[in-house]
Amino acid sequence: MAQDEGDATQFEEDDHRAAFIFNPKADGDSAAQSTRPAKRRKVAKPDARKPQHTSAVEPVFPQLFNGAESAAASKLRKELFETAWPVLENRIQQVLREANRNTLDEVTSFLHEAAEAETGKITAGFIITGPSIASQDLLFEQLAERLSAASQPRFVRLRASEAPNLKAALKKIIQDATARASDGVDDVNAEVSQCGRKYLNYDLEALHAFLQQQQQQQQHRHRQHSRRVVVAFQDSEAFESALLTDLITLFHSWRDRIQFDVLFGIATSVELFEARLLKSTARQLYGAQFDVVQANSVLESVIKSAVAGTHATLRIGPSLLQSLAERQQDQVAGIHVFISSLKYAYMCQFYANPLSVLLAADSGGLDRTLLQPEHIEAVRTLDSFKAQVEAAFQARQLNHAQSLIEDDEYLVAQIMQQGQKRHEYLLGLLRALYLVTCTGLDTGSFTELYILALSSGIDIDQSSGTVPLEDAVKRLSPGEFLTLVDRLSGAIQTGSPELGLEGWESDAEEFVSSLADLRDEVEGLVERSKSNGTALKSKYSAQSKVLRTTIVSQKVQLSQDTATLTEEDKAFTNAIDTLLGLLSQNLHCDPMDNLFLHEVWVFDSKSPYRDVFIPRPGATFARALSRPHDYLACACCAKTNGGLASTLPTTAILYHLYLEAGALVNVADLWSAYYALVGEETDIGLDERSALVCFYRGLAELRMMGFVKQSRKKADHIAKLKWL
Amino acid sequence: MARRKAAAEAPVPRASRKREFPVDPYEVPDENETPKRRRRLEATSTVDEGTNGEDVADNDDDDAIPEPSPAKRRGRPPNPAAAGTLNGQATTPSTKRQRPVNETPVKLNGMDTPSRRNIADRSARKKSARALIDRVIGGTVSDDEVEEGDIAREIYESSEDEEEKADERGGVEGDQEPTTPSKSPGRKRGVAARKRSPTPPRDLPPHEQYFYQNKPGLAKTSNNNLSSLNLLTHDEYFSVLRQLENPHASDVDFLQSLHAESFPQWAFELSHGFTTCLYGYGSKRRLLHSFATYLYSQNPAHKIVIINGYVRTLTTRDILSTLSAALPSLSSPGTGGGGSSSNSVGINHSNTLQALVSSLSTSTPPTTLTVLINSLDAPPLRKPATQTLLSQLASHPQIRLAATADTPDFALLWDAGLRAAFNFLFHDCTTFAPFAPCELEVVDEVHELLGRKTRRVGGKEGVAFVLRSLPENARALFRLLVGEVLAAMEEGQHAGEEVAVEYRMVYNKAVEEFICSSEIAFRTLLKE
Repeated sequence: MAQDEGDATQFEEDDHRAAFIFNPKADGDSAAQSTRPAKRRKVAKPDARKPQHTSAVEPVFPQLFNGAESAAASKLRKELFETAWPVLENRIQQVLREANRNTLDEVTSFLHEAAEAETGKITAGFIITGPSIASQDLLFEQLAERLSAASQPRFVRLRASEAPNLKAALKKIIQDATARASDGVDDVNAEVSQCGRKYLNYDLEALHAFLQQQQQQQQHRHRQHSRRVVVAFQDSEAFESALLTDLITLFHSWRDRIQFDVLFGIATSVELFEARLLKSTARQLYGAQFDVVQANSVLESVIKSAVAGTHATLRIGPSLLQSLAERQQDQVAGIHVFISSLKYAYMCQFYANPLSVLLAADSGGLDRTLLQPEHIEAVRTLDSFKAQVEAAFQARQLNHAQSLIEDDEYLVAQIMQQGQKRHEYLLGLLRALYLVTCTGLDTGSFTELYILALSSGIDIDQSSGTVPLEDAVKRLSPGEFLTLVDRLSGAIQTGSPELGLEGWESDAEEFVSSLADLRDEVEGLVERSKSNGTALKSKYSAQSKVLRTTIVSQKVQLSQDTATLTEEDKAFTNAIDTLLGLLSQNLHCDPMDNLFLHEVWVFDSKSPYRDVFIPRPGATFARALSRPHDYLACACCAKTNGGLASTLPTTAILYHLYLEAGALVNVADLWSAYYALVGEETDIGLDERSALVCFYRGLAELRMMGFVKQSRKKADHIAKLKWL
Repeated sequence: MARRKAAAEAPVPRASRKREFPVDPYEVPDENETPKRRRRLEATSTVDEGTNGEDVADNDDDDAIPEPSPAKRRGRPPNPAAAGTLNGQATTPSTKRQRPVNETPVKLNGMDTPSRRNIADRSARKKSARALIDRVIGGTVSDDEVEEGDIAREIYESSEDEEEKADERGGVEGDQEPTTPSKSPGRKRGVAARKRSPTPPRDLPPHEQYFYQNKPGLAKTSNNNLSSLNLLTHDEYFSVLRQLENPHASDVDFLQSLHAESFPQWAFELSHGFTTCLYGYGSKRRLLHSFATYLYSQNPAHKIVIINGYVRTLTTRDILSTLSAALPSLSSPGTGGGGSSSNSVGINHSNTLQALVSSLSTSTPPTTLTVLINSLDAPPLRKPATQTLLSQLASHPQIRLAATADTPDFALLWDAGLRAAFNFLFHDCTTFAPFAPCELEVVDEVHELLGRKTRRVGGKEGVAFVLRSLPENARALFRLLVGEVLAAMEEGQHAGEEVAVEYRMVYNKAVEEFICSSEIAFRTLLKE
């Protein structure tokens, strides 16, 4: 209690300070000394002492099951998270770096070549980055790294918001160019006041002098150093064209002293960009255009390696993944948004799902002692548990079903086995997926395929399957047949590094050998039919159907006829049938819902993600103000049900009145309406002045939240600003 | 069909051809002419005369010359057609209003297929129009042709006029503003339509409601004003406020305690490089403060800086200097140089930021700085530069940022790049706690809203402004005086009298502190 009071008084002071260092102990102690020292210390000390043991560690995970979870279990969850996520993050970073590598290489080599070729113009690289500003950042960061590593030019990144005019732009360029190279702050100062002269901070002479000085220093160390400065305009569309023109002209005039190279990040097209420049300016540029890997393909590869790949501990469920991917499309969000969402999903799962400890069973970190009765209880509430029991019951394995329900130890044993089963399932899924993509017969993207496979499994049956490949396989020509078989066996041999799949030849010997047999057979058939001078075909291919036209008494009759198939053709048809059989056997997997305990390793809840990343503040405010009961759960407003009632908080009442009003609100009328609701004659019975105070407060809050503004149209009127 | 033919037959300039199309000829000719229509037509002919002939000039009124050019007329909506239906069919208002919009382009191209009756009725008018046109083009006009032309024009104009009348309900406006006739019919029609539906439609979607409520002329409010009401003064506001009690206080506290349960979660999110943003109605100042207390109790070694965005005098310099003061490695040289706030005169923000960031990255053991910002969307922090600065801070791995937002539109503060740098997680933290008195100065706000100039003379800022304008000695004297008065107040609290300071004593003190040297100087300073 005492501490609360102390805090409350301290509040008042702190609240009016603009910025301060939070230190409750110092303030609290002084307060305590002045008031009630003995009592306060009692309360404060345990608070202050306890955390000091844990001061080094990050916040611990809470103990779930209403606190019944053991500390060890919550610690294990934390460890699991801390091992699972960094692996993934590394992979993602790797993928992102890979994705931009080509562009980076091209740009670097272009700048090199241009530096050697004496064009008399400013070298300009136009990098088509696409619309997302956020992803540009990464690219330019990498560029800066790469360029400064390669040839040590100064690299300056400019954003339109940082350089509103020529002076600011030059200042920024000089500052960055001089500061980046020198490690300490001292060098910067030395540069400015070198030779006893002080340059204005937007004078390129300063940069020139600095570069010369650098060069001299470098020459002592016998290292070639160029006087080059690369200026990157990250969001070139946002720069004023006049500013760009001025800068380029200025750079051009300094060419003999400082070699400027410019890079433009362009979201639209080079043509549009060029149209904004003066012709004379454009003539001073010697440029080339570079394309960045499109966001879609980056996303695809991130999904492949981080979401679908074998490295992922946690699976993102199909519906969540679907909405994530859609968001990337719809909102032109950068790839980092996706990564954040992914991370958040991991955080949610390990932070709030007590069963996530079961994931430790893989690495053998799961102890029987760790599993509390609560865990087992929780497992029994899962949908997949019910499904499992029902399935056992259907299959007449009554004992199994019974022990699942009643015998804890039996269940634990089952749970322990699930790790292995999950592993097998995922491997099977990924292999099947990979093979499907390898056939090249399915046109969907990998992401779509993956989502489909998770939600409804893979089945290549034409009529009922999720990935109807049957027809496509049947229509194969012998050549295509052979390449398909080659591709499949190649895929099995090599695996997919992107997905983290290794070759699984040893696991699928039968499949591989039958593929080889098929290949031999078909090759033989092709040889033979070639020597016969006929083209090999199957009964499924379109050419086998012959349309016959006969004219009988001036009427045309159409009839379809199966062309006669040679022996080879029949054999080829058989081969196709065999291949189809093999494929449907191997390219098959169940939806993940079928697995017992999939809730442990699949995170498929959309709501925390949506709430946290895509807030709807408008709706939240509207709800809070129109139905305060939803939040306050107070007895007095329970009956209002979104309507207007005098018991609501003032601002809520005013909000209701506000909604009813037109574009222009008469404050006098608003006040009388409000007073009629809460005034002396009503249940609330506020006297006029108190009501007015409340009214003032509500009105001020409405204004602060941007609902109303002053209107000059009429005296004592305010204008409505929001139509929600 | 008939129209297309007309277009093909009459090789006329475009302006005049258009004149022909939009008109409806099946009106009973009327002798009343609207001057506007007539002038329009005459303008056409005068323009044509300029190229083709001069004889016609005799027939035209002189006032035809300063009329609008043909180019202007081309864009005018051919409203006569609408009126035609009005006359023909017994007025269904909705169709009447829609038609002109739909028909405009079609008619110009001559692609319209008018109803049979229309075609039949059109001929008289068309003939007259063609006669007029031919005459203009031909250029050679005899006297009877002139007469004929007059008749033709009469037919032409009268029918047009008829429609005009039907359209404008009397056509009064045509006389009043002849130069911009196109606008007036539209407005008129709008008024008529509105009269038909006096009750506002219910349950409109927000955007519809916007357009409905912003229709010109709709904003009808009573003429009541607050003159009868005695507006609150600051003193009264605060004294009444103290007696008021919030019936929802316990619920608000409960809500807050609910939010407080998520503290560990927020701390976890912060520790993983996310920035939490708490939004929702109600002041989150106390919530954030107790969050700070929680964080502190978790790990007292962490530095926590609280920034109150709603403080109107907040500058980026304040933020940066407080941040660097929080860092042990930076604060020690800072204090040596005369305090971090005073030495920042010539220091660039970006330099300070860089120093801050580099000292954070290099510090051993790694210190973590937690920055809590109240009202991230308050006016002092709304500048893009400030937001960029904050986002740079937030993207640093060792700075954790948690912020609150008070307005519903806070998301508009950031573009994709900033948002990526912030790496926001949003939490709905509706607290229902009152914003006043910290975030909001209620009385000032309301008076400003009402356009009353009863703003407290600047309050704190005002005093600061006045003091800044004074010479240094005067300022020192003021400080001295205030100090003395305060001391006297404390001593004389029990007496309950007005406090006073002895003149002589103040003077002596002033001399001691070298504020002034003579009594005259002292008096002048005191006057200031």
